[in-house]
Amino acid sequence: MLSSLAFLLLHVLLAGAAASSEYDERLLLRPLPQSSLLASFTFRSTEPASTFSQQNLRYFPRSLGQILQHAHTEELHLRFSVGRWDAENWGQRPSYGAREGGTGVELWAWVEAQSEEEAFSRWLTLTNALSGLFCASLNFIDATKTIRPVMSFQPEGDHKNASNLHVLHGTLPHEVVCTENLTPFLKLLPCKGKAGISSLLDGHKLFDAAWQTMSIDVRPVCDAVSSTCSVEMEQTVDMVLDVDRAKRPRDNPIPRPLPIDEIECDTSKPYNAADTCYPLDKTAEPAWNLTEVFGRPLKGDCPLTEQAGDNANTVCLNIPPERTVQVNTSGEYAETQFSSGTLRCYKLPTGADFDLVLPKQQMTTGLVLAKPPLYAARSINGHGQERGSVQAIIKNPSATEPVEFVYLESLPWFMKPYLHTLRARVDTSPESPIRETYYRPAVDRQRGTHLELKMVIPPASTLTLTYDFEKAILRYTEYPPDANRGFDVAPAVVRLLSPNSQDKKGIYLRTTSLLLPLPTPDFSMPYNVIILTSTVMALGFGNIFNLLVRRFVGVDEAQTVGTGGVGGVVRGKLNRLKALLGKG
Amino acid sequence: MPPPAVAAADASPATHTDSTSTSTSTSTSTSSQSSSNALDAVNARPQPPPETKESLWLRRSVILSFWAVVVLLGLPVWWRTTAIYRADLPLQGMTDWADGKSCKPVFPLRIAVEAPLSPQEAHHLLRTTQHALDDLNEFSAHHLRLMLADPPLPANASQQVVSDGIGSTRSDEDIALSIRLIPVETGTTPRSTLQPYSPTLDVYYMPNQIPSASSTGSPLATYIAQELHKIFAEEQALLASLLFSTSGVHTAKIKSLSAETAAELKRQSTRALKYAPTYHLTFSLFTPTFAPSGWDIESALQQYLTPLLESFSAISNFTVDTQVQLYATFSPSIHQPEYDEDLRSWSLRKEDLSGFINAAEWPLSPSIGKGPTVNFVLFVPDQNQSPLLVKENGGNSWLIPQWGGVFILNPPRDSDTPRILGKEALTPAFHTFSNQLLSLLGLPQTPASLPLRLSTLKRVRAASLIFSASSTLGALARLYQALPSIPVPDTVAKSVDLTTSHLQQACDHLREGRFQGALEHARTAEAAAEKAFFERSMVGQVYFPDEHKVAVYMPLLGPVAVPLVMAALKELKSIISGLRK
Repeated sequence: MLSSLAFLLLHVLLAGAAASSEYDERLLLRPLPQSSLLASFTFRSTEPASTFSQQNLRYFPRSLGQILQHAHTEELHLRFSVGRWDAENWGQRPSYGAREGGTGVELWAWVEAQSEEEAFSRWLTLTNALSGLFCASLNFIDATKTIRPVMSFQPEGDHKNASNLHVLHGTLPHEVVCTENLTPFLKLLPCKGKAGISSLLDGHKLFDAAWQTMSIDVRPVCDAVSSTCSVEMEQTVDMVLDVDRAKRPRDNPIPRPLPIDEIECDTSKPYNAADTCYPLDKTAEPAWNLTEVFGRPLKGDCPLTEQAGDNANTVCLNIPPERTVQVNTSGEYAETQFSSGTLRCYKLPTGADFDLVLPKQQMTTGLVLAKPPLYAARSINGHGQERGSVQAIIKNPSATEPVEFVYLESLPWFMKPYLHTLRARVDTSPESPIRETYYRPAVDRQRGTHLELKMVIPPASTLTLTYDFEKAILRYTEYPPDANRGFDVAPAVVRLLSPNSQDKKGIYLRTTSLLLPLPTPDFSMPYNVIILTSTVMALGFGNIFNLLVRRFVGVDEAQTVGTGGVGGVVRGKLNRLKALLGKG
Repeated sequence: MPPPAVAAADASPATHTDSTSTSTSTSTSTSSQSSSNALDAVNARPQPPPETKESLWLRRSVILSFWAVVVLLGLPVWWRTTAIYRADLPLQGMTDWADGKSCKPVFPLRIAVEAPLSPQEAHHLLRTTQHALDDLNEFSAHHLRLMLADPPLPANASQQVVSDGIGSTRSDEDIALSIRLIPVETGTTPRSTLQPYSPTLDVYYMPNQIPSASSTGSPLATYIAQELHKIFAEEQALLASLLFSTSGVHTAKIKSLSAETAAELKRQSTRALKYAPTYHLTFSLFTPTFAPSGWDIESALQQYLTPLLESFSAISNFTVDTQVQLYATFSPSIHQPEYDEDLRSWSLRKEDLSGFINAAEWPLSPSIGKGPTVNFVLFVPDQNQSPLLVKENGGNSWLIPQWGGVFILNPPRDSDTPRILGKEALTPAFHTFSNQLLSLLGLPQTPASLPLRLSTLKRVRAASLIFSASSTLGALARLYQALPSIPVPDTVAKSVDLTTSHLQQACDHLREGRFQGALEHARTAEAAAEKAFFERSMVGQVYFPDEHKVAVYMPLLGPVAVPLVMAALKELKSIISGLRK
């Protein structure tokens, strides 16, 4: 409980920071069970709307600002994600899942346009420009991967003429997120990874994490009191590191077992012997420090952030009060404690390295992880090349509160669901949990399926959603080079409607992406077909032609073949051989 | 016909009968010699009946009709279906444009003379001045034509400048320069002043310097002619070098151009950006630390840049954006600045200036939208590397040809670098940027009057656009001839037509002295020519060789071709031997 309080408080702190300063950044570190460590980086910069429209940019990156103006995009959300958030062990998602994306790349934006067609053409401009900026294949978001969600996304910003805004959403579940996406991400920051908490971000460690998501959110923010508007850009990086894995030296990354005399054995096991050992479950918190875990030192603070007040506390640790923390730095720093010691925040020194060292420690108390409001899992069932079915299992762990949510599926056109087979069952009540359905069927090669369901789960129940689908057969050229790997299906997005979230960001969770095996042809087929048909045609032609042009005579009238031809030669040789043998 | 009794004979029946009769003659003769041998009697081969004429001709016509189908139907269909569509281009016309045969640009400049004189006197003055001018002019394509301003202004005897030019300039845009003759009583005469913000030349003279009707020359006329020649000297040199560099036709006419001026003009023209209807200006503040993190850019732009850009609005449009980039480090490939004891400053070596912009890390990507981006970089060095100067000449700014300009703003020595740079601190930087912008846009250095320089630029741009569009046409024509395997869609032909028609119009406008119109037509022509040359579908099949078409269908073509060819060969052989017999 303490922990979630601290978490809440941090969010309030961050929300307060938004209005007061032009740039601030924050890093929250929280140990998770099984020696994992959650690191949440948040960078937020604002630019007054007037200077933004004139393109006189200070902290807002010029490259992105130009793209947004060129594509008439009012609000932008871009996500790069790898891995799966293990909600069973890790609890509530950072930022309630509002800064998280599905595996691969996910992009949604509010585009200002007079008509749907104009909005779509601007959307294509946007995806193409962003593709170049972030070195990602965002230009592959075409009409078949774009949907217009109805209930799942609400604008976070304050928009003046909301009637001309069109929300468009596209996903690339197949995209592999890697360092080439991190480098442009860091270039957008004012301190560019050279100072401040961004100096900890290293591609090797970030993409080695068990789960990581990078996000960019741009939205207009208006102050109701002074009626001044500004454009806010928030960049976040959330990652879950395995501390043991992250501590491995880069030159020797292969894990090796400890010598047996250094391992603590569970002596209660019956098979415990001098050469057999069952390792004891570690109850001690592992030792770690920032430099080791992130692979590089924290180079002091980014001097553009505020130097006093709560916003100056850049690095925060969410740990039990009894955990010892050493600070290694040559510069001046300050420590502040919040919510009875479970949240320790540090103001970083300027121009000096900063390191937090947490030794190995046997803990008596632990933090209670906040429970997520829902658990969601989705899988493909069935067999064969023709049909399959999808099953999504959504669990409500709360004993008292029902949960209302929107379930969004964006399926590729070659996966054709049968809506009449859609079944939603709740194990505790016979009533159908579906309240509203929004369905836009796919059109071959033009658009994908868009399915949104508003559902309610009673407390302590499990909802099972199933539907069947048919697999389409693609054209020869539509298969990717690795066709036998299967086709990725974008994760389902779940947005919680009740309990309501405190801010406009909302509460989200996403399932993992699916791998859909489609019937793949033999890719040498066209040439084989050409050869086979050509051979048949040539055979037919040869027969008919010969029938027409050859002359037919009696067999005894035919010219002897001995004078020429292969058969005659062979027969002559045979005869000579026979004669030789007869002589011998 | 029962199979065992029948065997396929060779398809050369005419020779068959003949050859069997000759080759088997020995065996028949031996068999006749020992006729008692029964075995020999069996071996004696019966001859197939001689082939009738009808079946012979039938077979030949069958073979012939097969070949007819293949040659007359198969090959054309195959040829047609695998052929690449190539629209017809007016190749000769395009080459003519590229060689400068279609248009010889001329620049007749109209110069209005306002003289407080009687019409006869004025006409006489005009004639003598024109005469003197024509004697001075060595470059026939550039031609100054004097004319009288329609209503002669009332004489103003005062010595001051009459007005700032607003009242006296004609609304007629085609007049390149107005000359106002102002009679004065004192001072050295004749003398002249060129107004800096209007295309007006004020000439002061004594009334007695007006040439009399009988005289053929006068000091005033010679003076005016020389002044005009001086004013337009750079423009003439620019245009001459442009003509020289783009086509060899005019070589003979510009021998007057000295090697020195030619080199200088070449230097200027390589600096300048290619002409575009829109330029994007990007002003960036770079610093290797975190300070200064802001600048008073809005008011600086308002004060120093906006008036300049407004004066260019007839030629090009501009968009302006600015950014602040902190923690910008030098590229590791250049020598880091060294401390120079003599200059008491940190110095950059001149050869490292080209690598000063760290293109890999500094976000100076081109702006979105058509048109080139001009970058202006204001670099504030680190406090402990300040002042930072160029080693060779102690300068702190330089121009990067066709890219932009750099200015190093050294913070005051004694105090800390301010967090926000004020407008005053930016003043020297923006003066430098303005000058750099002018030379990047290709504005000539002389004369002193800005409108005159702008109209010069207009003429130079129009001419260079005509040349570049023409040479693009020539390149397209060469490409069309050199690569027969690329497809050429109809849109290319349309663009070529559009280009030539606009080029023609631009050329006509030039001849008539309407330079604004010429510029606009040349601009359209250039855009159309580029569109034609960079047509996307033209590159599609360049790498798809003809061999592939055959290779894929080899399994069909091979087995079909072999019996056809063999049958034809055998039949031919038999015909030949039949003829020989």
